[in-house]
Amino acid sequence: MSTNRHPIEQEELMAYLDGELPMDQATEALAHMELCPECQILAAEFRGVSQVLMAWEVESEEGGIPSEINAALGERPEKRTAAKVSSLRLDRLITRRWVWTGALAVVCLAVGLKLMLASRNRNGHHSAVYPNMVAIEQYLSPDRNAEIAMARSAAPEAISSEAKILVLGWRGYETAIEGQNGFVCVVERSWTSPFNSAQFWNPKVRGPVCFNPAAARSILPLTIKRTDMVLAGFSKAQMIASIKSGFDNKELPAPEPGAMCYMMSRAGYLNDAVGHFVPHLMFYFPPTDKSSWGADLPDSPVTLNPQFRDGPEPITEFVIPVGKWSDGTAAPDM
Amino acid sequence: MTSDEALMLEFQGGSRAAFEELFARYRKPLYGFFGRRLNNPERAEDLAQETFLAVIRAAYRYEPRASVRTYLYGIALKLLAAERRKFLTSSTLGQPPAEPTTDGTPESVLWVRQAMQKLDAPEREILMLREYEQLSYSEIAELLRIPLNTVRSRLFRSRLALKTYLESEAKTNPALRASARQPHPGRRGLQ
Repeated sequence: MSTNRHPIEQEELMAYLDGELPMDQATEALAHMELCPECQILAAEFRGVSQVLMAWEVESEEGGIPSEINAALGERPEKRTAAKVSSLRLDRLITRRWVWTGALAVVCLAVGLKLMLASRNRNGHHSAVYPNMVAIEQYLSPDRNAEIAMARSAAPEAISSEAKILVLGWRGYETAIEGQNGFVCVVERSWTSPFNSAQFWNPKVRGPVCFNPAAARSILPLTIKRTDMVLAGFSKAQMIASIKSGFDNKELPAPEPGAMCYMMSRAGYLNDAVGHFVPHLMFYFPPTDKSSWGADLPDSPVTLNPQFRDGPEPITEFVIPVGKWSDGTAAPDM
Repeated sequence: MTSDEALMLEFQGGSRAAFEELFARYRKPLYGFFGRRLNNPERAEDLAQETFLAVIRAAYRYEPRASVRTYLYGIALKLLAAERRKFLTSSTLGQPPAEPTTDGTPESVLWVRQAMQKLDAPEREILMLREYEQLSYSEIAELLRIPLNTVRSRLFRSRLALKTYLESEAKTNPALRASARQPHPGRRGLQ
């Protein structure tokens, strides 16, 4: 690759893939890569190297603080911790949010929600704009900090500010910021859509979501698994087979009791039909009859989300719209 | 979220819980740091503990102008250097070096180890800090006290070298080809 034909050096391309270029250069790199097969190949080769390196995992034993460290700590004076205090405060905040959110799950949004979901499904059946995966770079954010901010915007600050943040790199999701409240915020991509959705490869999709601890343990692994398979070049059929087998042999967990997530970002883009959609909460269960939640009944604010319907994941997902975005501003009437 | 740096300052002030939080965040990463560089799980565990003991002993010296991450890996690098010096001394005294554990190790992992050994030591260290410790270029530069451009150029060279090894190896090793395509759903397991 000569510098005469390419506006970016190979080294800069690597730095771009590492998220180490300034915004203006990253934008230039992305624009060039979309048109340059040679650079796309080089990027794929770099990704291949990283994937091979990731095979070298080092697992440590689980356990508490070793006795030597405990002894050393014992020689220091202890002080009341801010961490525990803030954790208790967070619990109270979350409890208040739940009460508040329940009160704001107004019926008028439900009708709009149903219309939007129906519209999304119709679009899925008729559109064929994204038949195949495009270059991975188009699914990545050129600005790591922007992706972190978008992930955080999935939930109110009282939750997301202490959540673990994952960002998508060309090797998969990586931990950008460790959390302390058990929530995990992440921006999902189009391949978490139903496998038969026409939006499955839509590179514009950005779905900010913040999983509570139960969902972080039992639902987020699906997002990560799908992403890993996409980056490894699996076909849809291979992905479906692998997910089925993952549930059959218990490598993939069933939804834990209480698993839910926040999707209250005004910055997201869920698909071409609904854009950033409405702020909402989602609740996950093993296969459940929707009538047990009164979902999709007249004037019910609860809707059955088709995300996992007819898919390999044995999960039922209910959606409840809420009246405000995560920043506290009112959501528009739909 | 309480930052690492805020936790460190709380620990300086005597908060045991702040240390416990730092321990929970960095125990596995530090174990991985030593585990990949020493191929000796017991010593890796010992040195990860030593790192935390050094933090306890020297916490009063920590200044928030350095990130806790680079501070911890700085300690870890020093402990690693001392361990290697000790190993060299024992080798010159006639003790045979410990063989890396290979029982049950997947072929792809063995290949990665071998490929890493073919790199120059400074380039290997930078590559490992980037790929496994996921440090930024500037963090690596600060840690190794080298210019940021040097980090980038050495990282580039090491990745190109590995790419070449990978290409030649994959021609003769179908298992490696296959393993390169396998996703690792468990490697980002949540705590």
